[in-house]
Amino acid sequence: MQRPATIAATEQPALRAIGVSKAFVSGNLHTQVLDDLSLDIKAGELTLISGPSGCGKSTLLSILSGLQKIDSGRVQALGSELGQLDLRALERFRLEHTGFVFQGFNLFPALSAFEQVELPLNYMGLTRDEARRRARLSLEEVGLAHRMRMRPAELSGGEKQRVAIARALAKQPQLLFADEPTSALDATNGQVIIDLLHRIAVSHGTTVLCVSHDPRLVEHADRALAMEDGRILSDRRLVAPANDSHGTPT
Amino acid sequence: MVPLARKTLVYEWRRFLPAMLAVGFAGLLQLLQIALVLGIFGSTSLYITGSSADVWVGYPGTQNVGSGRSIDADVESRILMDPAVTRAEPYIWVDGDWRGPRETGGVSVFVSGIDTDAHGMMFSKVLPAALRARLAEPDAIVVDRSALDQLGVSIGQSATINGHLVRVVGVGSGLRALGGVNVLCSLDTARRLDNDSEDVGPTYLVAKLRDPSQAAAVAQRLRGDNAFGPYTAWSAGDFARLSVLYWLFDTGAGAGVLFLAGIVFLVGAVITSQTLIAAVNGSVREYATLNALGVGVAALRRVVLEQAFWVGTLGLLGASVLGIVLMLLARSQDVPVVLNVPAALACIILVMGLAAVSGLAAMRSLRRVDPATLLR
Repeated sequence: MQRPATIAATEQPALRAIGVSKAFVSGNLHTQVLDDLSLDIKAGELTLISGPSGCGKSTLLSILSGLQKIDSGRVQALGSELGQLDLRALERFRLEHTGFVFQGFNLFPALSAFEQVELPLNYMGLTRDEARRRARLSLEEVGLAHRMRMRPAELSGGEKQRVAIARALAKQPQLLFADEPTSALDATNGQVIIDLLHRIAVSHGTTVLCVSHDPRLVEHADRALAMEDGRILSDRRLVAPANDSHGTPT
Repeated sequence: MVPLARKTLVYEWRRFLPAMLAVGFAGLLQLLQIALVLGIFGSTSLYITGSSADVWVGYPGTQNVGSGRSIDADVESRILMDPAVTRAEPYIWVDGDWRGPRETGGVSVFVSGIDTDAHGMMFSKVLPAALRARLAEPDAIVVDRSALDQLGVSIGQSATINGHLVRVVGVGSGLRALGGVNVLCSLDTARRLDNDSEDVGPTYLVAKLRDPSQAAAVAQRLRGDNAFGPYTAWSAGDFARLSVLYWLFDTGAGAGVLFLAGIVFLVGAVITSQTLIAAVNGSVREYATLNALGVGVAALRRVVLEQAFWVGTLGLLGASVLGIVLMLLARSQDVPVVLNVPAALACIILVMGLAAVSGLAAMRSLRRVDPATLLR
């Protein structure tokens, strides 16, 4: 990172968690998933959160993205206090600012790749032409220009995840959340996906928050957080690797 | 807008097929039930709907055609005095006990004594002119073709009604009755068959009007006068409705049928909603992803409701085709089935209501659409 320290200091974090706690209660069982956790995530970076399953990393992702409420503490996203937004307003916030990529792709079997990407745009108040233009551009960006008319059943796992990324990307979100985006994929396809996510952070200035226990991803992240038992164990800022596959200047 | 509901329905039709079948068969049951009810209970007003009279005059308080009492024959002149009336004729109803040539035991028959004139109004829509003319012969009767076995008689044979000899001169169709057998004869024959010494006049007087649309007004006008003893007047439509409603609600039969219709609706709704819920649950992860991307639950509900609408429409289409085939089959076997526009509309509304209720139930399963669960 070669950003001047003065700017970095005044920069507003894209996501901020302050003293966040979250517990799940199931019958008599009380599980503290997050325990007084504070965290800032900078805009335009790919931040990776890793840790063993059950460490609370996915919960942290769903809290920072406004999918889940917290028990105590505060969460700010793009300057908004998520705790003060009701369900409607949270949906609105997610519609305008966030993209998601899940482990299971979650594509509609009946729709073509193009329609998968176009569908959420329909709800953003875009014109039909604008929605279709964005859908096409996104699919081109993930390298699926030639597969636009295919349904999920005709696509490979890696291609399906690229459709899911295009679906998130077409919304032109400031925040992109990815939950174990590579764990259902082989090494080559996993590599393609993480490259894509990194490129999105760099070229679109999107804040990408990725949760994964895949060690291959660490070297592609700008920052790597390790979690265990609801707390952050280590926070490493990684100097951009010299062998960055895209030679993107950092 | 990407037509998600329709595309999913087409692509994953196997998942929606059970719901369509459930809606379709529930619709078919309702349709045939309504057609049977109309067919069976409609026959209780056959005397009115099968005739061309516009106004009926009978004893006050009569609840249905079969329970009339005799009125003064002189009322006919009062009716004819009304300027709107072009023709009036008596109609005699006699409850009879039939003894056929073969061993049938006693059979309850409803004797209809009618004017055998070629312009006669009674049964003018169901009785061919030639048969009507033959009723003028003394003791001649006509019955429905389907009743011959029940009466143990064939054309040309004789039997007795209330101890008086009658002879079957022909058979008609569409003359079936509920709870007995209709026997048509001339007014003279009917008077002979009536053993009740208190019956002095006709059971009814029926009238034809210059303008049939005036029936209600003319009936109202005729009601006001009691100069010839007790009588009252109805328009043909009102009297037919009275008869059908009497059978539907004042006998247990109609209530039973309505109860059954309610059960069919309930069972249909439960099965349809369950199958639709299963179909919606199959897409719940995709819906949750859309919700994560900010598509509101309200918008997702619309998708589910649209699917329910299409399921209802397709189910209805299947039910209609099958229903028409089955009704044609029923007709060919002399099963009384009748379907009119209001009944068909009621059926359509019921089926679409069923689909809507099921859709609403299926929408509840969208509560499970919590995108956070995708992250656990």
